[in-house]
Amino acid sequence: MKILEIKNVQKIYNETEVQVNAVNDITLDFQEAEFAAIVGPSGSGKTTLLNLIGGLDMPTSGKIIIDGTDLSKLKSSALIDFRMRNIGFVFQAYNLIPVLTAKENVEFIMNLQKWSKQDRDERTFELLKAVGLFDRANSRPTKMSGGQQQRIAVARALASRPKFVLADEPTANLDSKSAATLLEIMEKLNHEEKITFIFSTHDARVVKMAHRVITLEDGKVVSDDVRE
Amino acid sequence: MIWKTAWKNVWRNKVRSLVVISSVTIGIFAGVFSIALMNGLIAQRVDDALNEEISDIQITNKNFRINNDPELVIGNAERVYQMLKSESGISGIVERTIVTGMANSAFKSTGVQIVGIDPEKEKQVFTLYTKIITGTGDYFQKESKYNLALIGEELAKDLNIVRYSIDTSTLSRLKRKGLPLSAIDKLGKLAGKRFANEKQFVKKMKSVFSAGEAKKYGQIITKEAWSFREGARLTLTFLDKDNNQVGAVFRLTGLYRVSNSVYEKSSVFIKNTDLKKLTGLPDSSYHQMIIKINDLEQTESITDALAGKLPDMEVISWKKLSPELAMMTDMVQQFYLIFGLIILAALAFGIINTMLMVVLERTRELGVLTAIGMNKKKVFSMIMLESVFLSLIGGVIGMILSYLVVRLTAHTGIDLSQYAEGFGALGYSANVYPKISAGFFVIVTILIIITGIISSIYPAMKALKLNPVEAIRTE
Repeated sequence: MKILEIKNVQKIYNETEVQVNAVNDITLDFQEAEFAAIVGPSGSGKTTLLNLIGGLDMPTSGKIIIDGTDLSKLKSSALIDFRMRNIGFVFQAYNLIPVLTAKENVEFIMNLQKWSKQDRDERTFELLKAVGLFDRANSRPTKMSGGQQQRIAVARALASRPKFVLADEPTANLDSKSAATLLEIMEKLNHEEKITFIFSTHDARVVKMAHRVITLEDGKVVSDDVRE
Repeated sequence: MIWKTAWKNVWRNKVRSLVVISSVTIGIFAGVFSIALMNGLIAQRVDDALNEEISDIQITNKNFRINNDPELVIGNAERVYQMLKSESGISGIVERTIVTGMANSAFKSTGVQIVGIDPEKEKQVFTLYTKIITGTGDYFQKESKYNLALIGEELAKDLNIVRYSIDTSTLSRLKRKGLPLSAIDKLGKLAGKRFANEKQFVKKMKSVFSAGEAKKYGQIITKEAWSFREGARLTLTFLDKDNNQVGAVFRLTGLYRVSNSVYEKSSVFIKNTDLKKLTGLPDSSYHQMIIKINDLEQTESITDALAGKLPDMEVISWKKLSPELAMMTDMVQQFYLIFGLIILAALAFGIINTMLMVVLERTRELGVLTAIGMNKKKVFSMIMLESVFLSLIGGVIGMILSYLVVRLTAHTGIDLSQYAEGFGALGYSANVYPKISAGFFVIVTILIIITGIISSIYPAMKALKLNPVEAIRTE
């Protein structure tokens, strides 16, 4: 089932004297439960494309349609609400809320969506178990390693069962062991929860595990390989 | 969740939050305590003025206040008295006879107002009988074949009726009050000497002490060295009802001390019967009828009702008799408002500064929160709650602190006797009892919350303007 359509999307930055075509006429589709990696050299437009897909930035032209909703048609507050309900984010620098515990971080979005306490607790503990950090539920991020923080960030991204998760260089700050653990967890959750994962990455290990690899260069898709 | 996160955010940078909370605490304490102090000072002044000097409502002949002619008495005073007795809301009525004259001692003379009173009846309305200085006599209690007069301490000093001397009993009293032996020894040099007035005594005392000792012990020594000879004589001269000058010698029954030194200097109390005899005024005529009411809030309504029933007389409330007091009680409310606004504005700027730092430091985090779905209303609420928490914690601690200090000092009083002379000249007591109502604390709490909300608006607006993509990129 198609959950994301990117149609002729272009993003031009005019901030400097030189016009920058960060994303140049990209058209892509993503299906439910994909595990896709967007790769390419620095400056190829990976992060810009993720920001556009996530509705954090607006394309100069073209359309991004998520589950039938054209993001450009949404007003600012509706877009924030749409993001909350449909998209999970995992950032390179984890970006957990430092004053909240692991459990509170995971249930943050469920709280925003006004889930009942029982539902919140069930889902939070389910995810904490899935990422192997059930015993750290009451620890604050500052007391955790980078790998553990990123696993909590993955749990947070999946908490409200979004249509897909966008992960911008999720393993960039992790050692190889932590990165491997994280990737295994993400692949398992992708399989179990049927949630699409879209990564931007330089990491060969991520590319190796991806079911689909999209390569960008100078803002254009130069290859789109689907593996069996 | 927003409340919990905001609360936890307050304690993210403990030192900074504690500095802000401390400044709010100090500001609120200073503001509340200053207002309580002023409140106490004014309430005491109003209380003293009503209980010692003018009472709540006065009735006089229509022209008496303009022209203090002894002939301008209240016509048919007995009928008026009976009418007042039947009125509700009145707790006491006294009649006074008043003449202006001169008080003369063997050394000096000064102009005074001579007030004829019925000492027993006066107790219903005035507290003068409780203001007699210990050791100076009593409040017209002893029977005497002489005319008796009660005068103020300040008048006694003006007329040189008091003496300053150091004798063995003075030294023992000072020793009991904790004066060190070294100071007692030095003071011994003045033993047996008598001084006609305070100025001479203080000058001599300073010559035996160092400047520091004189400053430290001067006041207590002067207070103890003061003495008054009971039964001292005083000549009062004034005009009788036919405008002939009359005079008589009075023995002092005692000295009174009230907070208003001007009143002390100018008011001499004698018995109504003695004054009537000397002025030739009929027994049933008085210049003033003074009324004490049960509820001060009813002053104006009772005054108006009485004025309607006594059209030939002047019925006047304390607010009109002493407009400066009324103005002060009204004006002070405006003053509190301005004072409070200045303090809250200062606190607001401190909080705005802190919250701007908070937004700047948490740019990336706020960007992430917006990215993952926290809407603008919630971001705004979170920043606002952090600001309200900061101000409210400081405010509540400040209020608890001021409540405790006000409660303690309201019991013990604050001794400002160093400035007693100045306070006395203005009619204020040098021992101040801070006073504040419970309602005031409620108002302050509301104002603090409003200040917290207002202070958060600008920083919160800044947070709302953040672009999530740029904010997340922030290091």
